[in-house]
Amino acid sequence: MSEAREFKHIGQRTIRPDGYDKVTGRANFGADLSLPGMIWGKIHRSPHAHAKILSIDTSKAEAHPDVLAVVTASDFPAIQSETIAVGEGSEDLFDLTRNLLAADKVLYHGHAVAALAARSERAAAEALSLIEVQYEVLPPVLDLRAAMADDAPVLHQDMFTEGYDKKPEKPSNVATRLEAKIGDIEAGFAAADVIVEREFYTPTAHQGYIEPHACTVRYDENGQSMIWCSTQGHFDVRARTAKILDMDQTSLKVIASEIGGGFGGKTTVYLEPVALLLSKKSGCPVKMVMQRTEVFIATGPTSAAKLWVKVGAKKDGKITAMQGRLAYEAGAFKGSPMMPGVMTMFAPYDVANVCVEGFDVVVNKPKVAAYRAPGAPQAEFAAEMLVSELADQLAMDPLELRLKNAAREGTQTLYGPKLKSVGLVACLEAVKNSPHYQAPLGTPQSGKVRGRALASGFWFNMGGQSSVVINMNPDGTGTIVEGSPDIGGSRASMQMMAAEAMELPISRLKPIIADTDNVPFSATTGGSRTTYATGMAVVEAAQKVVQQLKERAAALWNLTPEQVEYADGVVHAKQGDDQLSVREICQAAEKTGGQISGQANINARGAGPGFAVHVCDLEVDTDTGKVDVIRYTASQDAGKAIHPGYVEGQLQGGAVQGIGWALNEEYIFDDQGVMENSGFLDYRIPLASDLPMIDTLVVEVPNTFHPYGVRGVGETSIIPPLAAVGYAVSKAIGAPITTLPCSPPRVLKLIQDKA
Amino acid sequence: MSKTHVTTSINASLHEFLCEPGDTLLDVLRNELQLTGTKEGCGTGDCGACSVTLNGRLVCACLVLAVEVEGMEVGTIEGIGQSDSLDVIQEKFLEHAALQCGICTPGLIVSTKALLDENPDPTEAEARYYLAGNLCRCTGYDKIIRAVMDAAATLGGAKEGV
Amino acid sequence: MYNFNYHRPTSIDEAVKQYDEAEDGQYLAGGHTLIPTMKQRLSAPTDLIDLSGIKAMQGITRSDDGAEKMLQIGALARHEEVASSPIVKSMVPVLSALAGGIGDAQVRNRGTLGGSVANCDPAADYPAAVLGLNAQLVTNRRSLDAEQFFMGMFETALDEGELLTSVHFPRPEAAAYVKFPNPASRYALVGLLVAKTNDGVRVAVTGAAPAVFRAAAMEAALTDDFSVSALDSILLPAGDMNSDMHASAEYRAHLCTVMAQRAVAAIVAQDQARARQVTSEVTSESTS
Repeated sequence: MSEAREFKHIGQRTIRPDGYDKVTGRANFGADLSLPGMIWGKIHRSPHAHAKILSIDTSKAEAHPDVLAVVTASDFPAIQSETIAVGEGSEDLFDLTRNLLAADKVLYHGHAVAALAARSERAAAEALSLIEVQYEVLPPVLDLRAAMADDAPVLHQDMFTEGYDKKPEKPSNVATRLEAKIGDIEAGFAAADVIVEREFYTPTAHQGYIEPHACTVRYDENGQSMIWCSTQGHFDVRARTAKILDMDQTSLKVIASEIGGGFGGKTTVYLEPVALLLSKKSGCPVKMVMQRTEVFIATGPTSAAKLWVKVGAKKDGKITAMQGRLAYEAGAFKGSPMMPGVMTMFAPYDVANVCVEGFDVVVNKPKVAAYRAPGAPQAEFAAEMLVSELADQLAMDPLELRLKNAAREGTQTLYGPKLKSVGLVACLEAVKNSPHYQAPLGTPQSGKVRGRALASGFWFNMGGQSSVVINMNPDGTGTIVEGSPDIGGSRASMQMMAAEAMELPISRLKPIIADTDNVPFSATTGGSRTTYATGMAVVEAAQKVVQQLKERAAALWNLTPEQVEYADGVVHAKQGDDQLSVREICQAAEKTGGQISGQANINARGAGPGFAVHVCDLEVDTDTGKVDVIRYTASQDAGKAIHPGYVEGQLQGGAVQGIGWALNEEYIFDDQGVMENSGFLDYRIPLASDLPMIDTLVVEVPNTFHPYGVRGVGETSIIPPLAAVGYAVSKAIGAPITTLPCSPPRVLKLIQDKA
Repeated sequence: MSKTHVTTSINASLHEFLCEPGDTLLDVLRNELQLTGTKEGCGTGDCGACSVTLNGRLVCACLVLAVEVEGMEVGTIEGIGQSDSLDVIQEKFLEHAALQCGICTPGLIVSTKALLDENPDPTEAEARYYLAGNLCRCTGYDKIIRAVMDAAATLGGAKEGV
Repeated sequence: MYNFNYHRPTSIDEAVKQYDEAEDGQYLAGGHTLIPTMKQRLSAPTDLIDLSGIKAMQGITRSDDGAEKMLQIGALARHEEVASSPIVKSMVPVLSALAGGIGDAQVRNRGTLGGSVANCDPAADYPAAVLGLNAQLVTNRRSLDAEQFFMGMFETALDEGELLTSVHFPRPEAAAYVKFPNPASRYALVGLLVAKTNDGVRVAVTGAAPAVFRAAAMEAALTDDFSVSALDSILLPAGDMNSDMHASAEYRAHLCTVMAQRAVAAIVAQDQARARQVTSEVTSESTS
């Protein structure tokens, strides 16, 4: 791609095509579809965090006049263990089935045990209490320390730790141990003048999407089953549901509704296969909508983590060694994002000697799901806290220390390749020159202290499979048919990229998200992949349309395609005055072989990694421990910002989710593993009144793999805030923060202990 | 359980419906009247996705019983503006990219309208405080607040012009 | 939500009768505690008696109660009504500020004074005002002192079926309410109302213990010396306070002192501003 390219549409702040429906309330989300004859499904959940199921008696529920179907795990066809992709990670199909409906054991408070469907939502809710389950309660395993203890109760008797040379002799709650290294870590520390070392802890936190999981389904014995649901990936819903219920994929159509937030949490299934079973048993369409409490107790939070980290450096600030040991809670079944944590932990640094060891640990909590750059915020929090501490020990500006050691083109990564062109240095420079970083921190009122800190963040970003068909209509307009659920405005980007490639006004091109029957397979919206990979498919499909337009015009003129050229929606003969507009060519398409369309089914490689640098100013009330963020700037490399407004929005939204994680958010369990704050009243995500404006600095270091230079931007922004906030609190109070969130009682205690 | 007949004005047009005492206004709007623009995020009055107005006052429809609205005036997102006649607030949300997933958007627009009806010229702090009952998990609120302030300025400007 | 019988009386007598006839009746005011608890099945009344049609329980007025002017607020007054009422602002401005700080806009437009007081949530704001300002609580049967009213967590002196109809607030000389809101719910993790009243300094504490209470040690110290520093060495006993997922009893005890000092500082600032105003009025009169 050319560097100093002039764009007509890209970089504009257009009105998103789906926006009108969303500001008028017409957009249909997961819970908004009702079908004739529809009944309501509900889930009966475990009151215990860890127990053997002795018996399930559904007879009373089945006898209820309004109940039309009851299902338990025994209604699933037999399922074998099989690893399947989910978001950036993977999950085991057998575990997934057990998570949908528990079989022999319940493994967390809220674990689904049975489901029923009844004529009304009220009747379904009331009939749940008629399902009788006998349990033998087992001691719950509620944190990493307890889970990894030698005498810990074991959740899965068939789980032996993987990742050691020899298979361990007894089962364990540690599913996997992983070690990754480059260089010689011992030599690296031996060469250091200064070594810093500390252990950190981050809590279980939830994605917190405002829309609860919801679906409406209809089973059809003749191969016409349908699922309407809120998901980041309807093809994955189809694949999972078909496998679990032993159906062909062609007999199941999945329609992605508008999706009210996901952040990774809607990349797997919780309701859909169960709802389809209920529909099959009852013969009626079934709707299921989770309550907020169910979302908290039974859908994927992200891992609590224990993070030990050690960094060594020369007096001049050159880092010689970085080492980490990470343990991540997976929840009830194996599969925490420990591996991406290991791989991303020190990725913002160009260091010769790196070693990270990670553990994936099961506990009696809900199975974790992907959450925005899964695994990275925890690990990079620990690393960034310690790099800031190192800067203080060396009496260096933390930004200069990061610049001196910044990952850049040619840096060897822990996860394999050497970096190509990346934007970390550009982000650091942008922050360095920003009004925010140049401004003094200012003096607070009495009784308050201030702190400033910055932190970097790295995320891989993904490519993967995307399919796009652009159908030209006889009036010269085009429909962009894609299979990537639009979770934050991606339709606007697709429209703009197509308009750019086809040199047409955006109003002539309409993007739609097709169901699984109407567009070829497309991977889940996740891994910050959609604008990158689906965007590449859009551009390729658009180029094919342009090529056809040229061929058709040439055919009308008895020329070859090489004798014509295309510009601004018009095909010209290179010689002579002949010209035809897109509209005219499309109108005449029936004379030249039928309508025009372009299709691209791609598997995109080379998603450029994303780097971000955030700086946070905050104020701490020394009498109460309350922390207020007073100024915040987020810088990130977008490669090329297709729609700057929505790119800024990703930076701001991620920053605020990270601020919430750093300051407020955590799952609180009682000693029996019951979540105590399973609602927005007590698990409070940031509010408008908690925050200042979030300034953004969008850096553009083009990703050469994408025709317009795009990098994913969705995830990286949640990584830096944990340490930007955490270390700013440390600076303000003069005591080290090691545990998140920085809740007022915790911060006050640090202040008091220091005094 | 016998059903109760309720007569109410919704978006300035007369509606009659039958409901049970346990039905909330939100249940009736969404499931009986198919006015699904009002969303349910929590059911306990904590997220603001179901914000509507009741006799002009902003409330959460999930905590109002449907039987309570007899004789009252209900305002929902469906009454604020259609795509060919958007309210200034809706236009500003679109121009400022003040929505990502869009699930909180109807509630926020209803709340913003209530804010500007009460206080046409809010400070940023007043706007943030008034909208604290509407959770948004996508945007970090920056662009929402900018849209609200721009809408207030635009409406104020229009008033001056009269 | 599960079903129940719904009643909408138009008089206090009718409401009480419906309550008495119900198997397990419950009065419905703003519903912002009751409906969520019913949805979660923590409460399951057979009958809801919706009070919103009772005119006699509405309205905010100034009454001449003997020699003393009282602020009389109907139990059904919604928080927003109290917050924006010119009468409340002129007579008991602290109450207006307190009401304006409850929950969020949606809550303030539905929640009622009577509902909050009768529910007696340990973290509710209003009980601090009722006790701190020495209000009278009027029911369908009697009038109660604030002192007698609050008995414990969600427990008041109201008898079965007794209906709180209005609350009468005497006008304080000066008062301030400062709370540390729970960062999640914005309920008072701790809230302190400090008032200078006809019968001396009163300090009411909400959020900290099972029910609102008066902090005698603080009152004594402030009676001797109404200053921020008078409270420096006073730490209320943590042993009487709540420990929960939001904060420990020790943290709450600490916050009591901090919030009390902030309330005192606010009153001192009000007094100074008033003094300055008087001085400037005197000055301008003398110079004109």
